[in-house]
Amino acid sequence: MSEKTHPLRKYMRPQVKKTTFCPGCGAGIITQALLRAIDELGLTMDDFVFVSGIGCSAWIPSPLFNADTLHTTHGRPIAFASGVKMGLPDKHVIVVSGDGDLSAIGGNHLIHAARRNIDMTVILVNNGIYGMTGGQTAPTTPHGLITITSPYGNAEHEFDISSLVTAAGASYVARWTAYHPRQMTKSIKKGIEKKGFAMIEAITQCPVQFGRVSKQGSAVNMMKNYKENGIRIEKAARMDASELLVKIVEGEFVDCDKPELISSSAAALQGPTGGSN
Amino acid sequence: MQKVTLFPQSCKGMEDCGICAFVCPKSLFVASEEMNETGYLPPMPPDEEKCTACGNCMIYCPDFAIAVEGGAVDGREE
Amino acid sequence: MGEARQINTGTHFMMGNQACAEGVIAAGCGFAAGYPITPASEVFNALAKQLPKAGGTLLQTEDEISAVCAAIGASWAGLKSFTVTSGPGISLMQENIGLAVATETPLVIVDVQRLGPSTGVPSVGMAGDMVQVARGSHGDYQIIAICPESPQEMFDMTVQAFNLAEEYRVPVFVMAEGFVGHMRERVVIPDESQIKLVHRKITQGGEPLTRRDFLDPEVAPMPVFGRGLKTHVTSSCHDEYGMRNLSDPDVMHRYIMTPIEKILGKRDRIVEVEADHEGAKLVLVSYGVVSRSSRQAAAMARAAGLKVGTLRLKTAWPFPDKEVRAAAESADFILVLENNTGQMYPYIKAESAHACKIDFLGPQVLGQIHDPQYILAKIREIMK
Ligand SMILES: Cc1ncc(C[n+]2csc(CCOP(=O)(O)OP(=O)(O)O)c2C)c(N)n1
Ligand code: SF4
Ligand code: SF4
Ligand code: SF4
Ligand SMILES: [Mg+2]
Repeated sequence: MSEKTHPLRKYMRPQVKKTTFCPGCGAGIITQALLRAIDELGLTMDDFVFVSGIGCSAWIPSPLFNADTLHTTHGRPIAFASGVKMGLPDKHVIVVSGDGDLSAIGGNHLIHAARRNIDMTVILVNNGIYGMTGGQTAPTTPHGLITITSPYGNAEHEFDISSLVTAAGASYVARWTAYHPRQMTKSIKKGIEKKGFAMIEAITQCPVQFGRVSKQGSAVNMMKNYKENGIRIEKAARMDASELLVKIVEGEFVDCDKPELISSSAAALQGPTGGSN
Repeated sequence: MQKVTLFPQSCKGMEDCGICAFVCPKSLFVASEEMNETGYLPPMPPDEEKCTACGNCMIYCPDFAIAVEGGAVDGREE
Repeated sequence: MGEARQINTGTHFMMGNQACAEGVIAAGCGFAAGYPITPASEVFNALAKQLPKAGGTLLQTEDEISAVCAAIGASWAGLKSFTVTSGPGISLMQENIGLAVATETPLVIVDVQRLGPSTGVPSVGMAGDMVQVARGSHGDYQIIAICPESPQEMFDMTVQAFNLAEEYRVPVFVMAEGFVGHMRERVVIPDESQIKLVHRKITQGGEPLTRRDFLDPEVAPMPVFGRGLKTHVTSSCHDEYGMRNLSDPDVMHRYIMTPIEKILGKRDRIVEVEADHEGAKLVLVSYGVVSRSSRQAAAMARAAGLKVGTLRLKTAWPFPDKEVRAAAESADFILVLENNTGQMYPYIKAESAHACKIDFLGPQVLGQIHDPQYILAKIREIMK
């Protein structure tokens, strides 16, 4: 009976038997949403290079994925991925990292890659906290929340990362919670197929750190919250700020086509001024 | 044909995770009394009669501990 | 894509920074990343125009952190990769220079150095980064750094830096000073056939778990991306297969030591000096632009009957310990000349103090190049 394997096992390194995450961590749901997207697109791992930073979420592709994987430094995966993509323009380059990694220490790389519209897909795993280092306040931590480093309540305000990256110029941006993995897979597929910068913001539970500080507790309780408070962007547009306070806006923030960095550079070189010596 | 396959060694436990139980529309998951190799309590095999092969348990399980065959697993909006 | 070569063979009157850009192209660089900074900007400016036409690609990044990271990424994509900056940029790059060392990534970094600390004086060249390029990232490691003294060497050593990076899978620094970068002199660019290039060895197939992609003192072939090799690269402590290992003390030891031994074991092939001190009682030790003053001062001293020799460190790292020791053991006095307050002095002293007297002479005013007369006066004072 147990010769059967999980249908997505074939994308994992044979010696890696388990994910690195705590029980109930949503990072595993996102891992699956991503692998399912690759599976449904009919692509193979050889079509991809995966780049990640530092944090729990950065361990999604490394060491799990049986592919070229580059596990880098905290905050920098998009910078590394930009060089990888410029060297291998025919491969799909996917960055997977956390909210702290990509929006705090690496926030500048995120918005500039979006502005350049370089062809890559970023899976930003937003658990609202620094998970790996033990529950410190992140730029995504809700205002007022008591955390390890905000013992009197977080006096800062949280980033709306999807709006930020949309404003910075990305071609495709979507946000889904871990309660909506099918929609997430659909968006990841769109992101991979999009010629340009795509980001999927995956809101997810860190039951161990965020669950503890927010007193939301277990993975299931956190997912119940996503189920109850997730709201589609179309509907949210008709609601006012006070109504939206506890809501999590989900859906596609942008889906457009515009010139991509690498193809634009190549075209400029061939163009009327670029061709001459 | 069997619809749901469990890989109990991959499971991280009904106590701390239990996501399969939360997402199964037929409430088919209860914890087993047998620990797996890592000391977690995986679910018992769900009742195949009642299972609709909706695929939820597979798609939500963060640890690749469940596979579902023979239903509307893909592309279904929840 | 692939290798970009469009060589400006001929004799030119050229700025050091332009000669460096010509070297980048002659070396077959496929990717350059950079961020504007004085006195290094001319290198990247020139590449922006020339590299795409020679078949390479280029990215002006949002900062130097991104520049070094993108260059490392492109190196894993299989391209000869390059970035150029000055002291403040090196400071920003440090964490990921460590990543390049730990992941054994071929990479060339040209540092056109300037007066610091902090913003300092951008347009005044000083050898301000001699130690930070070797010791500025956290942990223990070994890089290669070479020191040009002329625009000609900006060309030659840039090509050499690519060759060393490719051969040893290591970041290589060209430690130009702003003076050399902005100096205009005759530069001879040889015919393409005369420029010898080294290419990295690339892994040819095999399962990841059976391949030793890392931690080989003889330099493992590089499992570059995009060829279905399913390579695992991590900045964390890893074993020979590239797999993360944070628990085995033996792996930790090898993770630190093998990349160091990989360079130090080959130091005799890597280290280059110009030694001209046979029979000398006093040896002037220098590197970079100061070596020009040093040679002149030595010639003047010899003309006056003083037994003065020179030792020029063309390689700064790995440190030319044997060569310095040989000079110290054959002379009575070593005088170290540096275009700073004595960054390499402690390392030179450590190899000399057992055998002879040693002293340091910075420039008469920091930010200026040593005047040969000023060096000569010091020589006379020592030898009187
Ligand atoms: C330069 C640097 N600063 C700090 C750290 C320590 N650090 C490791 S992971 C992490 C936070 C990770 O948070 P996030 O990116 O949100 O990932 P998560 O663990 O929550 O998935 C930090 C601060 C580091 N590795 N490098
Ligand atoms: S600490 Fe949080 S984010 Fe990290 S693995 Fe555990 S549950 Fe997941
Ligand atoms: S969802 Fe998966 S890991 Fe969680 S309890 Fe159920 S079977 Fe175990
Ligand atoms: S496939 Fe659906 S109905 Fe069947 S066990 Fe899984 S979640 Fe329950
Ligand atoms: Mg986080």
